[in-house]
Amino acid sequence: MKSAFRNAVALRTLPHYHFINPHFHSLPRFSVAAVSSPPSSLVSPSKPETFRFRRRSSPLRVRYSSMTGGETDAPASMEKQFEDFRVKLDEAGSLRERIRAVVNEIESITRLMHASLLHVHQSRPLSEVLEKPKAQVDGLKELYGRLAEVLCECPGEYYRFHNDWRSETQTVVSLLAFMHWLETGKLLMHTEAEEKLGMNQAEFALDIEDYLIGLCFLSNEMPRYVVNQVLAGNYDCPRKVLRFLTDLHAAFRMLNLRNDFLRKKFDSLKYDLKRVEEVYYDMKIRHLANGDSAEDNGTQGQS
Amino acid sequence: MFHAPALRSWISSSRSPIIMASKSKTHRLHQLSGTALQSIAKRPRTITTESYMKDAFANYAGYLNELNEKRERVVKSSRDITINSKKVIFQVHRISRDNKEEVLKKAEADLEAVKDQYISRLVKELQGTDFWKLRRAYSPGVQEYVEAATFCKFCRTGTLLDLEELNAGLLPLSDPAIEPLQINVFDYLLGLADLTGELMRLAIGRISDGELEFAEKICRFSRDIYRELTLVVPLMDNNSDMKTKMDTMLQSVLKIENACLSVHVRGSEYTLLGSSDPSFLMGVPDMQS
Repeated sequence: MKSAFRNAVALRTLPHYHFINPHFHSLPRFSVAAVSSPPSSLVSPSKPETFRFRRRSSPLRVRYSSMTGGETDAPASMEKQFEDFRVKLDEAGSLRERIRAVVNEIESITRLMHASLLHVHQSRPLSEVLEKPKAQVDGLKELYGRLAEVLCECPGEYYRFHNDWRSETQTVVSLLAFMHWLETGKLLMHTEAEEKLGMNQAEFALDIEDYLIGLCFLSNEMPRYVVNQVLAGNYDCPRKVLRFLTDLHAAFRMLNLRNDFLRKKFDSLKYDLKRVEEVYYDMKIRHLANGDSAEDNGTQGQS
Repeated sequence: MFHAPALRSWISSSRSPIIMASKSKTHRLHQLSGTALQSIAKRPRTITTESYMKDAFANYAGYLNELNEKRERVVKSSRDITINSKKVIFQVHRISRDNKEEVLKKAEADLEAVKDQYISRLVKELQGTDFWKLRRAYSPGVQEYVEAATFCKFCRTGTLLDLEELNAGLLPLSDPAIEPLQINVFDYLLGLADLTGELMRLAIGRISDGELEFAEKICRFSRDIYRELTLVVPLMDNNSDMKTKMDTMLQSVLKIENACLSVHVRGSEYTLLGSSDPSFLMGVPDMQS
């Protein structure tokens, strides 16, 4: 008996499946004729066009024409619950669109800042290079403030939409850290980064993992910077960069990382460090690096 | 929320040995783990420039450790919930016309136990924070629980257990001082999607036991769920897994409908149509061999 079922099921499902399955991107129609069924059918034959699958703009209450009297009235409360869901999800959707709008603006400012900072590879004077990006940091702060406002409307849901602005924030952190290092030679601290972006409120803080990943992005710029500086004749640079990256790497090694994105970025930090070491080594053995004996780390030969 | 108080006190207590450490030539890269206090003696010469980084990163290490440990505990809790919810579902599958009351009573008792033991543990681990941040860790367990709870409710009353009611049952588990664990709409919908699979299994099982009316009730119910979900799913964020579940769900609904159809059509061929004799379907020779 059961095999008869199975054959019947197979026969029924194959040809008509693609008529019935609503594609969630288009406007299909349930075809009544395709499914021969007993009286308690999906759609009453007289109005096949009442079932329209509409997209998200308006929550459409689909009402099947009432069928056989055997329907329980469970659907009424079920419909109400799902109506509530649709409303809530619609609201979340519009919130998300607003977040995306702000994030797009953040991204365009970030791109401008990055482009300005790239001048540093062409050995323009530092103050000139940093002038424009520094001005744009205020713009960023304002945008993050707007983001905070949007998120304030849904308290406790910081992480719900976190992925929408996560990678942009990481890039922002890396740019800020790079600018800070160019100016001061020191690492931008988490709290300092928060200050610059106005992210030091209770509900809206800078996630530590985002900050750390931003630092790893920062280190990705270093090998190229070192190379270009040496090409431009600044032989002092590799030593400073090397010391900075070594410290950073040592600090990162204190973390117990699990196998996630942060871990991968940390691995890339190792390669950046290695690259900078190579450049420094090349210079050192050719005695191009000057003034490096006294204040250097202990492992350097005291020549 | 980013502080690790234990670690901070460790850092301040370890400051004095640093100052007294001899300034020996050291290896540049060394790892300052929580227990390796002896390595403090081998500090690099550039103590002053480095220590600000080290201090900060010690804090970050503490934060990450706490977070990862919490995440692991939550995952473990979630796994427990999954296993035990599945047991409830298996229990409900044993239902038939004769043993309905006893099966349901045991299932409901087991479900309560899942709530009291395992979900309360999850609540304790989360402690009212990071509901969204750690959602990937506990979502599978919660989905399974939703599946089990809605399954039980349907077999008991023929209605859908709605999210509010489900969450109301979870409120007493949380300390009133902290944010209570409430199942969010996404986990609820995902659990609901899995429910139709179980309903399909149940319907086929009931049909082969001759309980056609129950199967038809299941049929109508799963159609309703599917219909409602088609309107909600496009609005969900990150709904790719939900979309695949919708495909599976449609398959399940089709199977139920076609099974009901076959019995309906063939039933008219038998003189014992719709009888309460559970064996009327069993005795028919298989004509397709």
